[in-house]
Amino acid sequence: MILYKIIIANIFFFTILFGEDRIAITTKIIGKAYYVRGNNSELPVTKGHIFENGDILTTSKGGFVALLYIDDKTALKVKENSKLTISGKRAAKSIAKEIKLDRGTLRAIVKKQNQNDFIIRTPVSVASVKGTDFWLISNKTNDSIIGLEGKIAFLNILSGETVDITIGKTGISSSEGSLQSFKTDPSTIPEDLSVDINGDQILEIEFENASGKKKTLIIKYK
Amino acid sequence: MYGQTRLIHHTPPPYGVIGQELKLVALSFEVIEPIDATLYYRLPGSKSFLEIPFKNSGINWEASLPGFSLTAEGLEYIIAFQFSRDRLVSFPREDPFNNPYYLTTVPPKGQKKIGMFNNLYSEDILILSPEPNELVNQESVLIATSFFNTDKVDFSTVQLFLDDLEVTNSVLIEEGILTYDPGILTIGIHSIQILMKDIDGESIIPLKWDFIVGTERIEILDLVTYNGRLNSRLSSEKLGRTSLNIAEVIGDFSVDVQWAKLNTDLRLTSRESPYSQPNNRLGTAFSIGGFLDVNMGDFYPQLSRFTIDGKRVRGLGIDADLKWLKVQFINGELNRAVQEKAGVNGGYNILYDLTTPNEDGSKTYYLDRTGFSFKRKITGLRLSTDLFSKLNMGVHLVKTRDDTTSVNRILDNAKFYSDTLVQNIPVSNYTLEEFKNALLLSGDTLLAPNSHWKGQKPKDNLILGFNIGTVLDNQKLTLDFDWNMSLYNRNIWDGVMSISELDTAIDDSLDGYIGLTYDRDGKEISGSTKIKTSDILIDPENIQSLFIINTNMTPLVPIDLTALSSNPISSIINMPSSAFKIKLRGNYSRNSLLVEYQQIGPEYVSLGNPFLRNNTRQFTISDRISLLDQKLFLNIGFKHLDNKILKTTVSPLNTNTLFMNLTFLLGLNMPTFVFNYQSIGKNNEKTSLDSVGSKTIDFREDSKAANTMFSVSIPFTSGSLKQNFTLNTVNINNLDNLIKKRSESYLFPKTDSKTISMTLSSLFPSQLKTVALISQTRLDIPSRLGNQLIKIPYIWTHLSLSANKQILEEKIKAKGSLSFLNSKSQINSKVLGLRAGFDFRIQENLTASITSQVRFNYRPSFNKDKLDNDGDGQIDNSGEVFDMNSLGIILNIQYNF
Repeated sequence: MILYKIIIANIFFFTILFGEDRIAITTKIIGKAYYVRGNNSELPVTKGHIFENGDILTTSKGGFVALLYIDDKTALKVKENSKLTISGKRAAKSIAKEIKLDRGTLRAIVKKQNQNDFIIRTPVSVASVKGTDFWLISNKTNDSIIGLEGKIAFLNILSGETVDITIGKTGISSSEGSLQSFKTDPSTIPEDLSVDINGDQILEIEFENASGKKKTLIIKYK
Repeated sequence: MYGQTRLIHHTPPPYGVIGQELKLVALSFEVIEPIDATLYYRLPGSKSFLEIPFKNSGINWEASLPGFSLTAEGLEYIIAFQFSRDRLVSFPREDPFNNPYYLTTVPPKGQKKIGMFNNLYSEDILILSPEPNELVNQESVLIATSFFNTDKVDFSTVQLFLDDLEVTNSVLIEEGILTYDPGILTIGIHSIQILMKDIDGESIIPLKWDFIVGTERIEILDLVTYNGRLNSRLSSEKLGRTSLNIAEVIGDFSVDVQWAKLNTDLRLTSRESPYSQPNNRLGTAFSIGGFLDVNMGDFYPQLSRFTIDGKRVRGLGIDADLKWLKVQFINGELNRAVQEKAGVNGGYNILYDLTTPNEDGSKTYYLDRTGFSFKRKITGLRLSTDLFSKLNMGVHLVKTRDDTTSVNRILDNAKFYSDTLVQNIPVSNYTLEEFKNALLLSGDTLLAPNSHWKGQKPKDNLILGFNIGTVLDNQKLTLDFDWNMSLYNRNIWDGVMSISELDTAIDDSLDGYIGLTYDRDGKEISGSTKIKTSDILIDPENIQSLFIINTNMTPLVPIDLTALSSNPISSIINMPSSAFKIKLRGNYSRNSLLVEYQQIGPEYVSLGNPFLRNNTRQFTISDRISLLDQKLFLNIGFKHLDNKILKTTVSPLNTNTLFMNLTFLLGLNMPTFVFNYQSIGKNNEKTSLDSVGSKTIDFREDSKAANTMFSVSIPFTSGSLKQNFTLNTVNINNLDNLIKKRSESYLFPKTDSKTISMTLSSLFPSQLKTVALISQTRLDIPSRLGNQLIKIPYIWTHLSLSANKQILEEKIKAKGSLSFLNSKSQINSKVLGLRAGFDFRIQENLTASITSQVRFNYRPSFNKDKLDNDGDGQIDNSGEVFDMNSLGIILNIQYNF
């Protein structure tokens, strides 16, 4: 038994010594997605795949990946046609998280970060948060950020301008250096596929008893 | 609580189970029933107690300790019975508020998962997928957890169960991430359980959760959920000659709108009276988003142990958690204004000693206002922060002041008694107006002041304090320091004084000194109090809204200014009006260590915490150890308490307590053994006798009390009959260490006692439950019979049998009990109590119960003692020998919604 524990401990030791930090896990996948690690070739992302620091994730048309950071369950939901680099430096009690989003759409549900801000960089902007929920849509020329909860410090790299995006606000940052915020048009909020990944139909039936008390029965069906 | 002349019998339970309600039972042996009984309890070392009233259940008085109060720390409690004329009797008998009974606690049997010490909480392990109760598509189930936040788990011990089937062999654990792909699961609810041990081989709380697999889901979604309870209780009891009819409605109501929650608690009782503090309760707590809690009505704030720690306030309370800053604010009443007590002399009283003769031969009579209580307002603020979970600190301020305008100066209808000492008017009960008119006719006058009454004085209290604490060594060691200073004014009738008024308030000389007196030659009289007015740094008039400074403030200057310059830190910490505590707690391996020192200065007062005993220093060191895979618990420690803060203290009382508790839990359906030992040594450092008048009195104290308790509980099964037998013994022996140096006539006043009890509880296959109890208690109370010292034995034997059974498809629960108590002492008596009742389940959410009880007393010696023992004007009649001492019926209806 002691020998067994020594072997296990050594495996862990060498894994830690020579391996990159493992920082996040894939919890849901729809369609196709791929990752690249170091100089290796592209491999498909599967359910339960564990991302390491520096892995590059790409989603195909119709693809969707949900992943969770393992220190605090900060969630990333990456929609189709996206490309991003997942970074994270493990410390004693947390992971310093950073995403480089080259293109695409993602939702970040960021748990309260104790030490470092959670950062997402795009070619034109930087979003920095402590703990919040937002969508970030990036193409080569414009970024738009939609605040769902909390506060996001949104910076245009070219102009150096910063704006705080809060719940109900959308910020637009352009490659020409402009940065503006305005009230969110609800129709522009992307659909979160992990909430209803099967495209279920929903039937709501409202019941009312003799005393006027109401309850709603919600039935999801295909 | 000293010199208790009445007796109660209480056998402490051997232990409490963490998180589970515990019923305590006490018996009164008095012919006269107690009028009230209260259970006080607290976490060990806390500075204040919470209260629960006992309920009379016929022969016994019963109260239940709530489950939340029983924690791994154990619990301390006191039972106090109040008799007429404010006489009290308590358990423990001696100095109970400083030496409450310590009740050890054990984890629930069969739940090995609850580690008491080196516990790894479930939140240290993150459930990544699926979330608890999440709906998951059939093909996309992935079970994943993260051990990132803990380094205590031995991964080789991890076992994963899916729907109670072990699937550990298919589990992957990589760098603290556990994953398992179960493939396609059937539609429905599935459960996951992860068992594991820490690196010391101790079991860790298992991780359990459910999730739902399917493509369809039916749910009832309530954006607004609510629930509540309404309980109505009617009781009619006859205790001796007193009839007591009480109606109570108790309810709680909770509304949850997802982002906010509202809880309301209500108690309406017929005991509510304008002549006392409120018995009704109505409180609402409103919680928004987990960061703001607002309390309105009756609530129980806790700002710090030395200020207010759970005492009821009626008003407004706000707790805001702004992450970096926490704000607690309270504003309301500790006491409401009570204008008078019930009955004659409840609002006025003639003070005959203050009658003064007038020059014309008439007299002036003094009529004092009595029976009132001022409205006591309290305002408190606490600001605190917790930096990086490493350093916590806070400051607080609590202001408490009596409102002198809250009590009416004149009561029109209050009656008071005028006896023959008021001459020339008939002996009778009068109102103020009637008395004035009567005196007017007789030519006398009345002095009835509108303020400055002789009884209760309005008070003012301000407390300032701070605390700082840190967590060290990977959260295994905590260090906390809490310091407070109080300003206290015993009488604010005259309001604030200016500095010049203070100068001349005690002495007549405006000389820059308060209290400095001079002889005829103008020389300073040595020994007189001398406080420089220039030492009063703040003009009292500028801060009167915060605190009223006048000569009734104690101490007038809270700090020793002379010592301040030479040793500032020491003089601030040790101010007579300061209270502080420094506590070091460590959790290492299987040990929970505590080292604590606390000091409450002789002048420290908090009107928000009446249980604080000032002029005390206390040092505690203790360790709780869990051994043998949490089957054996050992709690050992030492506590020193004294009142030697002031160097001038004469004959300080030192109390040294050594305690040890051993609890051995073999496991579910296995015996449990508990052994408690407590040695309490007291000495007052007196070496010589005192002279009082012409007599020499021995006030020396050097004693030792040894309190030993042993309990064994054995569960056993005979066929389908399940039984549990408990044997409990408690011995208290007192030893006078000065016995050889005392005179032969010295009476050592401490009482030895022995209790043995046996309980057999049985559960029959027919769902009949019975509990049979037999116990005997013997007290040896030292007394003096003429010149002879004797010990009077009191022996109580108690037999009881109680049973309950579900009938009519569990719609009705029938219950009953029979108790017999035999008391042998100077007066022998027997008490028989019967109790019977039913619980009805009328509907799923509507229950009702009815309980009736009767108690008979039999005292054969009253037949020939030539005394009127029952005060009915007849001597040695049959009613003195046998009577129905108590009769009652209780109706209860509860509706849950």
